[in-house]
Amino acid sequence: MDAAGHGGEEGPVTVTRCHVTTGFFVLGRCGQAAAASCARCVRPVCAAHAGPGGLCPECAAAQGYGTHDPHEPSWTAGYRRHYYQSSSHAYADATWYASFDEYDRGAFDPGDDYAHGGDWGPDDDTGFVDS
Amino acid sequence: MFWRKQKAAIERFHPLHRALILDRACAVSLRRDDWEPVIQSLARHGAEVRRRRWRLPKRVPGVLVPMLRILAADMPPDGVLSVAADMRGSGVPEKKGPEQHVPTRPPISAMRQWYVVDPWLRMRAELRDGSVVELDVTDRIRNRRYRKNARGKVKLKSKSKTVQIVRVTRRLAKDAVVRPPAAPPPRWIRVRVKRGARMVIRANGKFPGPLEDQAMIDRILHVSTEPFRWTPPGTAARRAR
Repeated sequence: MDAAGHGGEEGPVTVTRCHVTTGFFVLGRCGQAAAASCARCVRPVCAAHAGPGGLCPECAAAQGYGTHDPHEPSWTAGYRRHYYQSSSHAYADATWYASFDEYDRGAFDPGDDYAHGGDWGPDDDTGFVDS
Repeated sequence: MFWRKQKAAIERFHPLHRALILDRACAVSLRRDDWEPVIQSLARHGAEVRRRRWRLPKRVPGVLVPMLRILAADMPPDGVLSVAADMRGSGVPEKKGPEQHVPTRPPISAMRQWYVVDPWLRMRAELRDGSVVELDVTDRIRNRRYRKNARGKVKLKSKSKTVQIVRVTRRLAKDAVVRPPAAPPPRWIRVRVKRGARMVIRANGKFPGPLEDQAMIDRILHVSTEPFRWTPPGTAARRAR
């Protein structure tokens, strides 16, 4: 199977697809033909998702290019990460945050626990306090 | 003629935008991409209209627009997104319930109590995985007016207490793969599941309010999370377009 996800018997055409995560609750991949690679996380991005400086939407948001105005179409991608982090804390469910893509988690703080699967220890803030 | 530039600006806005300004309410079903002109029209409001009377209700840019963006992100282009927004506030007579007399003890000599039920936002979206999400946000306000004085003077006091109720229902696609979540939801969220060919998951959240803007969005999204935890990641998007 090639990078595009097509079977090898259909022909030698290999199209690299855009790997940018789409959706909010129902996550998926963009799947359009990639036009470039993100300058930071090197995942392939299509022309529609290539942001300032050749960054993917998550890396652009991590670099401070994201918008806080919900009237902007790109607001959802930036807010999604905040939502997955806060809802995982509210539900104390690490698997919920792990369903969020590793690219999207890692773009903001590569090397932290969340970037490698998502977990927190007993001393971290999970909403419980010692009595 | 006063305010002519702002009146002309309102005439140029999207009809739904005008309805939110003038009627403070709208109810409509549109395809996903037809909401974009509405959002772009709402984005221009602050720059073109400054008169207090025509100001948009705070919940429009604070809650409605973000929820439109979030639901539209999960929809196919031909999916229908329905919205019934009632931003008239809790002072409208038809939202007021009957008054009741409440037993009192000194120094309170008489008390009347009534509830106001304000369902200010209802949304329905057809998602790209074949499921349908319905969202209701309701304010329930308890008002109390009482006479309080130990010396025989007439002094009226009043109190109000708001509870916000968020109900999210997701009707899954036919024969969708279902996996009950490993961890239970927070205690303030109640879940009911109706099994069948099209499983229905309903989450109810009740919390003290009134919350506005991002705090309100976060609460709505936390309640909305539960129905989506029942479908394993990746399997739900098999019909993605």
